Amino acid sequence: MYIKGIGMTKFEASDKPSYVLAYEAAIEALKDADIPFSKIDAVVTASLEWFFSVEKQRHFPAMMSSMFRTHKPIISVPAGCAGGGHALWVANQLGYDNVLVLGVEKLMTCKSESITDEFTMALESKWEQLEGLTAPGSAALLAGHYFNRFPIANTDDLALIAYKNHLNGALNPKARFFGKKVSLDDIKNSKIACSPLRVMDCSISVDGAAACVITKDKTEVKIAGSGLCTDRIAPFESKDLTTWEATSVSSAEAYKQAGISPSDIDFAELHDAFTIVELISYEDLGFVPKGSGVKMIRDGTVLLDGKLPINPSGGLKAKGHPPSATGLSQIYSLTQQIRREAGDLQVKNSKIGLAHNIGGVGGTVTCHILKKV
Amino acid sequence: MTKNIRWICEKCNKKWIHPVDTCIYCSGKMKKQIGTTLKVIGMTKVFTPSPPHPIIPYNVIMLEDEHGNRMPKKVMKDYSLGDSYLDVADSSDNAVSVVKIKYDFYEAVKEAIELIGDVKVDAATKILIKPNLSIPGYAYIGICTNPKVLDALIEYIIEKGAKAENITIAEQSFFVPLEKAASKSGVINVIKKFGVKYADISLTEFETVNAREFSFEVSKIVKQFDLIFNVPVIKTDMILGIDGAFENLTRFLSKKTFTELAKDPTKAVNALALLPSILSKFITIGDASIGMQGNGPAENGEPGFFNLIFCSRNPVCHDKIVQEVFCLRKLPYVELAGKLGAGAYEMSKIKVIGSELESLRRDIKQPIGSRLIKKD
Amino acid sequence: MERYVKGVGMTKFGIEDRPIHDMAHEAMTLALKDAGITAADIDAVVVSNVDTKINDERQRMYGLAVSSLLNRQMPIIVVPAVCGGGGAAFWTALRLKYNNILVLGVDRVLANTTPMITKEIMNAGDNFWEQEEGLAFPAINALVAQQHMLKYGTTVEDLNLIAYKNHYHGSLNPKARFFGKKVSLEEIKKSPIVASPFNLYDCSISVNGAAACVISNDKTDVKVEGSGLATDYLAPFEREDMTIWNATVVAGKEAFKQAKVLPSDINVAELHDAFTIVELIAYEDLGFCKKGEGGKFIRSGYVNLDGKMPVNTSGGLKARGHPISPTGVSQIVEIVDQLKGRCGKRQVKDAKLGLTHNIGGAGGTITVHIFRKL
Repeated sequence: MYIKGIGMTKFEASDKPSYVLAYEAAIEALKDADIPFSKIDAVVTASLEWFFSVEKQRHFPAMMSSMFRTHKPIISVPAGCAGGGHALWVANQLGYDNVLVLGVEKLMTCKSESITDEFTMALESKWEQLEGLTAPGSAALLAGHYFNRFPIANTDDLALIAYKNHLNGALNPKARFFGKKVSLDDIKNSKIACSPLRVMDCSISVDGAAACVITKDKTEVKIAGSGLCTDRIAPFESKDLTTWEATSVSSAEAYKQAGISPSDIDFAELHDAFTIVELISYEDLGFVPKGSGVKMIRDGTVLLDGKLPINPSGGLKAKGHPPSATGLSQIYSLTQQIRREAGDLQVKNSKIGLAHNIGGVGGTVTCHILKKV
Repeated sequence: MTKNIRWICEKCNKKWIHPVDTCIYCSGKMKKQIGTTLKVIGMTKVFTPSPPHPIIPYNVIMLEDEHGNRMPKKVMKDYSLGDSYLDVADSSDNAVSVVKIKYDFYEAVKEAIELIGDVKVDAATKILIKPNLSIPGYAYIGICTNPKVLDALIEYIIEKGAKAENITIAEQSFFVPLEKAASKSGVINVIKKFGVKYADISLTEFETVNAREFSFEVSKIVKQFDLIFNVPVIKTDMILGIDGAFENLTRFLSKKTFTELAKDPTKAVNALALLPSILSKFITIGDASIGMQGNGPAENGEPGFFNLIFCSRNPVCHDKIVQEVFCLRKLPYVELAGKLGAGAYEMSKIKVIGSELESLRRDIKQPIGSRLIKKD
Repeated sequence: MERYVKGVGMTKFGIEDRPIHDMAHEAMTLALKDAGITAADIDAVVVSNVDTKINDERQRMYGLAVSSLLNRQMPIIVVPAVCGGGGAAFWTALRLKYNNILVLGVDRVLANTTPMITKEIMNAGDNFWEQEEGLAFPAINALVAQQHMLKYGTTVEDLNLIAYKNHYHGSLNPKARFFGKKVSLEEIKKSPIVASPFNLYDCSISVNGAAACVISNDKTDVKVEGSGLATDYLAPFEREDMTIWNATVVAGKEAFKQAKVLPSDINVAELHDAFTIVELIAYEDLGFCKKGEGGKFIRSGYVNLDGKMPVNTSGGLKARGHPISPTGVSQIVEIVDQLKGRCGKRQVKDAKLGLTHNIGGAGGTITVHIFRKL
């Protein structure tokens, strides 16, 4: 399958309801694909049902049927923060000619404590939630384990990752932090969220939608590899606390399908919900051996003008993180880069890109490889 | 002691963190692996609050047990890597244990009792268990004592040596025939499963006991047993604040006494406060596995989903800690009972074991009492 | 892609409040045993689960919990669609490029007071147009029933006949909520009004439960011949004709086309009777009878156990129970059991072609599947 059209709304706190955001992203993608909605065979969406949200809406496919005034097959494949990746993975397998893939999230409708609670429910019910573990808490424990095992790494490396993503995000018109400068000191001096992670190590919640149209007809952007792996629900169940195996397994599947190895990747969009997750992903995706992740940030490999630019769009950190839309916003960025349409954000080598999307605390991971053909 | 639990397939050794009864791969039977020697291998200090965990900062430590299994735990104290984590049992009157239920009711009830110094029973011990079955309702609504808690308690004391024929479950209802609540909540199945005895307190003999200005008709059943377990279900109560250890004792009185006291709420507070002094000693096991929040204690409340078991040798300490955990308003009858010498009331004298009190506090739906608004 | 059903399994649907992992484990174990394989042979899992807030699990992303339950790393996706989740999950699984796929529906709805459950299910309707106007689910469907009665003269008695039929079937189904419990037509007529014109027996009952099935490319004796999924506008009042549920028409046509059969060829069917009127409208929309003649159809006895095409031999959502997500999968369990001759007292003789029809919300997502005994 090939990517024919992409679209996304600006990621920010919006006063529009989720289905309107989805509608706008879909229209942009259809226009970019130059395909009328009537030619679409099916729609695969991803959208979470929020408990505390003011929308109280649980039947998203039917809502989209109302928005698109259609009776075509529409299904929803939510997967927490990996919703976008899951939707593309499913759409890729359905066997239709033209599929619209849509991810939308509307978070900014309740207090931040309630939003924290929403994310907490992706953790295990009794072993983790009862013990006060929230999503940042779980990531913080991961950072703690990593720093213990590899004392070469420290929070300054995490700050460098956040800084890099903000440098990129400031140039991305669709990003939350577009045009906003964030200095390395701003990051290092931010308050502690869950030690050792600071507030600026954590991605920010926003509203947003992203969409793409995939087709059987050849375009210049091919979906060369698509891997999905669902692992345990609680990180403490794994053998190695510094690795998220779902990343390794799903990326291996994607590399195999594309017939390439990690060193062939020109640039990538990784899931930096927390800076530490981007750091271990360098290793789990096979770019460097375990424990050497910090080399990539310290020697500039992953900067916009480096050998392997990571998160040229700004990543979740600077773009903002509407869970179900993130995965598709990564596809948006990869497609723009491959088409050489990324403007100030254009990376030098953009033939093969990798999109890496995580749900839960490393519980489910999708890896997509897009290739210029 | 806080403990870690894994369910392991005897044939292929795969481990689960959820209780499954057969292995889905090799159909082998499962066995339980408990870990009690816990070491700290990670810690994070959390500054982001959420409704179930509103008080910040708190710490979450990652513990590893002797089998290499891990589990996270919420604490307020700061730990360093390599420290041991240990809950020390305390058999004094002022101790209250609070245990979180990790899918296994038996392990939770066992730990709650062990943390207050355990109980000694043998084949001759006569044991009375007093649940709350006063209003009928399905177990998941949290209006009666959860049959799973009773099941776990009976299994534990039988394992310690008690005989089923010497165990009696006794209760009465002032509103409906007792059978209704016993069957609807599923408690009747527990009674049948273990073959324990079953008594309706309203059919027992009562004797008059005088205390201060009150004259109580108390069931003679309280004098016929060596060991009494008071097992209330923890509910918010629009009038009493909570239904805890104290409220459950009211059903040792005759319906006549209860109806008289219920007429005057201020008298009722004084009467409640005197109850521990006129009854034999008992151990309270507070069932907050589901419990009730909102406009309890009857059909206007909703399930609380608290996931806790409280346990104490003293009802004053027990109810005081329940009130503190759920951040409810002061309970006048508990304070009064403390002043009358029935137990320790000041927080400085009460010891909470199993989890730190500050780590347990959470917001629940308060008994606001919209149902108490009287239409003129 | 030729798809076959390898095995099915479900828990008893009832009021017992068991943790979700317990019910999921039981359904999966039964389905795998029926398929003659172990969890190691499964290549992917499609789960359907509505993240309800009203039980004590607060567990979202149920796919992850299933992964822990299966103790394995593999592709697991979640396809919820409120009441139509089971069917939507099955439709999706048919199209994935894997061999042995486990489809699981599990839900724990009956874990709170009735008002809370009503509020939870209300979330399948539009927030401002419907929820704010007090349209709880019985009310939404009651208005649809009223339109049908005004337009075609359908009567309350016709609806009572449907409830009576389904309860009779349910009393014969060991996995049903109402197994062994007979309900007379008198009881049904006299039951209290829930949302006029619906009385208590016009509405399906919420229960807890889980159901699972294994599909595969390997040939077995039950083949999936047709599979259609269609969507419709969220609220019935938005649609041109409230009495035509377009998604049924579209999905049904697609399934019949793929299977190359006509409605009159179907021997046994499981239709989504969340409310009696929904089953009646399904008779018409699927083409078993003409539009408006649903009342005549039920009165003719065509769909009774001794009729030409028994409908809802499991008891339907009415008497078997409606645990939301597992419903669609449990319909498939019943049809496969019918085709394999395993239904005991409610067996339909020589059942060769079966149909399942699963609805999400008030007709928002509808799936129709057709199965053939080879």
